[in-house]
Parts: sequence; C-alpha cells; structure tokens
Amino acid sequence: MNNQTISEHDRRRKRALIAFQIVFYGYLLTMFLTQMYMYSQRDW
Amino acid sequence: MSAASMRLGGGHTALDDHDDKSRQAQRRADTWMISGALFLGTAILGFIGLPLYLRGLSIQSQAERQGLSVRPVIVTLIGYLVIIDAALNSFGWALDMIAHHTLVARVFLTTWGAMFDGGYFWHYNELWIGGATAPGEKSWEIALLPVVFCMRLAAAIGFLQMKRWGQQWLVVTCWFGVVAWTGYVANMTIFADVRYAHVAFPVWGWWLYDIFYITPFLAIPYLHSVNREIFSE
Repeated sequence: MNNQTISEHDRRRKRALIAFQIVFYGYLLTMFLTQMYMYSQRDW
Repeated sequence: MSAASMRLGGGHTALDDHDDKSRQAQRRADTWMISGALFLGTAILGFIGLPLYLRGLSIQSQAERQGLSVRPVIVTLIGYLVIIDAALNSFGWALDMIAHHTLVARVFLTTWGAMFDGGYFWHYNELWIGGATAPGEKSWEIALLPVVFCMRLAAAIGFLQMKRWGQQWLVVTCWFGVVAWTGYVANMTIFADVRYAHVAFPVWGWWLYDIFYITPFLAIPYLHSVNREIFSE
C-alpha cells in the first residue's frame, strides 16, 4: 500500500469518526431535549 | 561515541540510567494515581481520591518536562478515566444488585435517587431482586456489569501498561459503551414518568451527573487514530 492510499484511508476514517460523533451526540441531545419537553409538560 | 554507549561505570550506560529514572518516575506517579483512582472509584470517598490522583498526574508531567520517557499524558488521562468510570458503575450497581439492604446502599443510593432518578427512590427494595425498581434497570445491571464494565477495567489496565491488547480491547469496550448508552438513555426517556416524577432535580440534574459517564466516548477518535506502534505486544 503506498503513502497516498494510506493518507486517503486515514482521511476517510477521520471523516467517518466525525460523522459518528455528530450522530451519537446528536442522539443524546435529542433524548435530552425530549425529556426537557416532557418536563415542561408534566407535573414532575 | 554516542551518548547511549557512554559508560557511567559498572557497565551502566547513559541510556540505562535514563531508562531507570523514567521507570522510577512512572512508578511513583502511578502509585499516587492508582491510590487516587481506588478512592475515586468508590464515589463516596472520591473527595480523598481526587487530590491523590492530581498529585500523581503532576509527578508525571514534571518527569515529562525533565525529558524522561514516561507514558503520554493523553494515555494516562484516558486510561484512568475509564478505570474510574468502570469502577463507579461496577461498585454502584453491585451494591444495588447484591448489597441493597446494607446501610450504605439504603442511604446513598436512595439519596441519589431522591435527587436525580426516582428509579432508585420510589419502591426501593420492593422487587424480588436488587434495590432499584425502575423498569429495565435490573436487565442493564445483569448485562453490563460483567460484560462491559469488568472488561473495561481490564482493558484500561492493559492500556495504561501500553500493551497492544489493552488498546484494542479499549476500542472494543468503548463501542460496547456506545450500545449501552444508546439503550440506557432511550430507557430513561421511555420511562421518564417513573424516573423523574417528584425528584429534586429532574432531567437536567440527571444529565449533569451522568455526563461524566458519557464522556469516555470522546476517546473513540483518539483510539482509532493513535499510532499503534507506541503500544507493545
């Protein structure tokens, strides 16, 4: 495998990791906001 | 003649001397940090552990500034963070599962429940097994305690020893953690009426407390992009 292929591979991996972070933390934020919405609607 | 081959007497080279000093400094720092992590992992005695841990971290940073070959700070931070996270979950859930009638469990778990999570307060100790009665909680404890947290503890120790298996298993268990948190947070939302009803700090209090447990996932990009050659077989 030459250097160019390795750097392309690394670039793709970094992009996938960034996408994963956005999706996962986005999911957590969605759950938090859903719970906050429920909190505003209910008598907790 | 290179510095490494310069004789200091008794067959000891400058490189050997540097190696010895580095090992001693790392061992000294780890003694403080392990003691701190043990206290921090109990949660209740965490206030004793934090200064011990910070003292160890400072010894290691000092050694690094002196040019000694010690473990990278980022590896130290991730490794101990995972150990403390795994210990907190293991002790807390083990207490809830098998020691839920002890005074310490009845006082601390229900107090925590009254503040953040009604699943650990309402009807505590009324199920046929364990203390917390939140729907699904016991299944999480049975699944995650032996499979995820104990394995994470072992992986983090190997990671701190700069072993390749430690790095690889930390990657695996960090992904286990993603699965666990995806499910656990969904459970908290689905049964929110049970878990947040009439607690002192509903929703935001729980998230503020639990965000510490969620943060180890920040290590995933590092673990995937780190140069694996720094870890030994």
